[in-house]
Amino acid sequence: MDAGARERLVQRLREVVGPRYAFDDPYEMRLYQYDASPETALPDVVVLPGNADEVARVLKICSDEGVPIVARAAASSLAGGTVPVHGGVVVTFPRMDRILEIDPDNLRAVLEPGVVNLSLSQALRPGGYYYVPDPSSQGACTIGGNVATNAGGPHTLLYGVTVNHVTGLEVALASGELVRVGGAKAAESTGYDLTGLVVGSEGTMGIVTKIWVKLTPIPPLQKTLLAIYPDIESASNGVSAIIRSGILPAAMEMLDKISIQAIEAASHAGYPLDAGAVLLLEVDGIEPVVEDLAERMGSICRDHGATEVRVARTEAERQALWKGRKGAFSAMGRLSPDFYVMDGVVPRTKLPETLKKIDAISERTGYTICNVFHAGDGNLHPLVLFDGFVPGQYEAVLKIGDEILKLCADAGGSVTGEHGIGLEKRENIRYVFSDDDLEVMDRVRRVFDPRGLMNPGKIFPGHGLKPSTPRYPPGYPRQPAANGGGDDLWV
Amino acid sequence: MGVKARAQPLPGHQISIEQQHGMSVDGLLPTKSMHPSDAEDAARELRLCELARASVVVWGGGTQMQLGSEPRGYDVAFSTERMTRLLEYEPADLTCRVEAGMRVADLQATLEANGQRLPLDPPHPDHATVGGMVAANTNGLNRARHGTVRDWVIGMAVAYPSGKVARAGGKVVKNVAGYDLMKLHTGALGTLGVIVEVNFKVQTRPEADVTLLGHFEDPSAALKAGIDLAHHYLAPAAMILVDRATLWKCGLTADWRWTLAMKLEGYAREIQPTQEAAASIVRGAGGRIEGQALPATFWDNARDWSSSTEDTDVVFSGMSSLTGLQTLLPLAAAAGPLMVQPGAGIFHVRVAPDAAAPALDRLRRAAGDDGQVVVTRAPVSLKKSLDVWGPTPPGFPLMRSLKEALDPHATLNPGRFVGGL
Repeated sequence: MDAGARERLVQRLREVVGPRYAFDDPYEMRLYQYDASPETALPDVVVLPGNADEVARVLKICSDEGVPIVARAAASSLAGGTVPVHGGVVVTFPRMDRILEIDPDNLRAVLEPGVVNLSLSQALRPGGYYYVPDPSSQGACTIGGNVATNAGGPHTLLYGVTVNHVTGLEVALASGELVRVGGAKAAESTGYDLTGLVVGSEGTMGIVTKIWVKLTPIPPLQKTLLAIYPDIESASNGVSAIIRSGILPAAMEMLDKISIQAIEAASHAGYPLDAGAVLLLEVDGIEPVVEDLAERMGSICRDHGATEVRVARTEAERQALWKGRKGAFSAMGRLSPDFYVMDGVVPRTKLPETLKKIDAISERTGYTICNVFHAGDGNLHPLVLFDGFVPGQYEAVLKIGDEILKLCADAGGSVTGEHGIGLEKRENIRYVFSDDDLEVMDRVRRVFDPRGLMNPGKIFPGHGLKPSTPRYPPGYPRQPAANGGGDDLWV
Repeated sequence: MGVKARAQPLPGHQISIEQQHGMSVDGLLPTKSMHPSDAEDAARELRLCELARASVVVWGGGTQMQLGSEPRGYDVAFSTERMTRLLEYEPADLTCRVEAGMRVADLQATLEANGQRLPLDPPHPDHATVGGMVAANTNGLNRARHGTVRDWVIGMAVAYPSGKVARAGGKVVKNVAGYDLMKLHTGALGTLGVIVEVNFKVQTRPEADVTLLGHFEDPSAALKAGIDLAHHYLAPAAMILVDRATLWKCGLTADWRWTLAMKLEGYAREIQPTQEAAASIVRGAGGRIEGQALPATFWDNARDWSSSTEDTDVVFSGMSSLTGLQTLLPLAAAAGPLMVQPGAGIFHVRVAPDAAAPALDRLRRAAGDDGQVVVTRAPVSLKKSLDVWGPTPPGFPLMRSLKEALDPHATLNPGRFVGGL
């Protein structure tokens, strides 16, 4: 975009949002060039609308000018979903973070997109309710971003992901229209399920300005178990055995040896350092059931190779175990300057063989790959450790990621379970969808956004993408790590 | 859109007059039929229909053919009856992939042999097909606890009039790759494409279940008990509030005017405490719990009640917020025999044909913007005068554009869906 056009655009946007809330100073905009993925690109303008009407008017202006629009909330996307690869206007939501209504009678809350996931559950707690999907970044990530990616989290195994908890949306379209879809306070409306379609569309259909979510009663009791295994294979067998038994826990997470060591160094969660793998299991419900299930799962684990099963005796112990798991990615900073996290899914029965194959890739390439993942639903998060300052490592790691995703797809799985396709996997999507499949999706996209202005360059392969810049371009000065790792970098 | 100019001869098989009448929809008769053998075959046949500018009505088990407005045209009856195979089922993964023409009961029997189930219970499972259940979004009574079709479909293959088969989703329980087109086709009544294969996640059968009956004189007290239960951590899997006439159709009689029937299920140790919690809520709302022998077919009768085929009545199905349901209850109760699903914000009422129009008008006005009332069954003579779907929903212009994008010549079920789509 040339300087004159940019200046005109900023002026028009300022007329909508006020002078403070639209800017194009390259220094100020540096914050908006990246998310939690390795790639970066600078926007042309950043705008912070204060309400739904302003979002719609911003979109209308961008549409008039033919400028790309990228929605960005907390930018914890691990797939480059918010990186403005084609430049344009980044729309961000710190001013739209209000819980508009909590309606316990109808089991609903109405939210603006910038509401932080965890703060919603905190606001609901006094009434005895919570919002189920709990991505590990829930302390930072927003419900708007969760809607865009159809986010999951450890506790979605039993209760479902974002789309299962959203009943209505207000969406600003590229045309500048504001459209309400879905049932909102009712479960459904007549006509096509546009709510279900828009959830997970990664900002390519419109920008969500209002969200109706379901409230869920807090379970009376939660019990967390830690099953300790000599190796990851026996832990995987433990997972299969629990599923076979007919028990579906609220959460079933696995961490391998390297992850355990990183987590213990960072947060002293209470994971044993000599374990080959641990399974973090949680059951919830009324007391007699929880006690019974915890006992049954404990003995299943012991029968299938667990050397020890520990039960969190206090809420503090339980929180420590979860803090370790949810802080797993940030703890990797203890081990390596950089890591690359994948988000493959395989059918549960393919877990052991897939993990073996990932191990073989690690052996062959010499890169350490550790695994922290949602074992209960087969959602793997292999983390490839590397150093971005060593020439060639970043490129090598991308290749490893690609190989892992191919492996998951070939096992009958998917290339993304909860992070989204974003920028990162727009070519990998071909591992799971044919040209015909993608052509239908593209037709649907054009209904919402005929000119292709909404988050262009995401989800779909091709589209004449300009190359993005890795986070550390050659010659970027290495910053000394103050505490041995980037604890706060990865949210 | 008017009468389509026929560009090519009508494809498909000739059918007898008897077959024609067996496949009539709202009094319209097809000229030909098609019975594709698999997904690719279905797409090829649809393409022929599109080229001929034919109007196609898609048939599964035929249990929901009364749903929707009168079709604008009907040339070809397009049946999934030959597509009945179980394509994949790995019990340990709790997933399966089936062809759309498989009967729901057949799928459930396969799952049951492995101690599993799909917790969806659409009416008439011996006839209803998997594809029809998804296309019509028919959910039975289990939805309060277990959700609806959209929560259990993890992947789909759809044949389009373009002649292509396209897939969305996949075979794993957690997947965000690409657009979730499963949601788009669920409840679209086959107006955007013909669902040819469906992938489901399934669950282990509950260890135990028990039914509890609470009796009331006052329907609003009964509804309040039901709604309170829906807010409880131990919500019933299925819960219906019925009047005496409806209860009798389910196979029971009662001295009380209203009955709240609750199916409680879960782990073995869950049942007794759940039963106690439910009973205490019922009693707290002024209801009586009576031990009563339940006919084995009680829940099946209840499930099928709102779409039983022998009646010539009109059926309205309403959906609203839970508080809206409290406002609608007296109006619905006055309209005819009633079944309410308090946890889901749903009611079904059977209305006499001559009273249908004013009752519909009253209910729709009371439902306002936060709910809707759909005429799910009515003789065609009445359909011509009643607005079957009600006012077009918010976002309708997008829906119309989606229809034009995926079925540009309105080949599929023309006119049957919301707003004449």
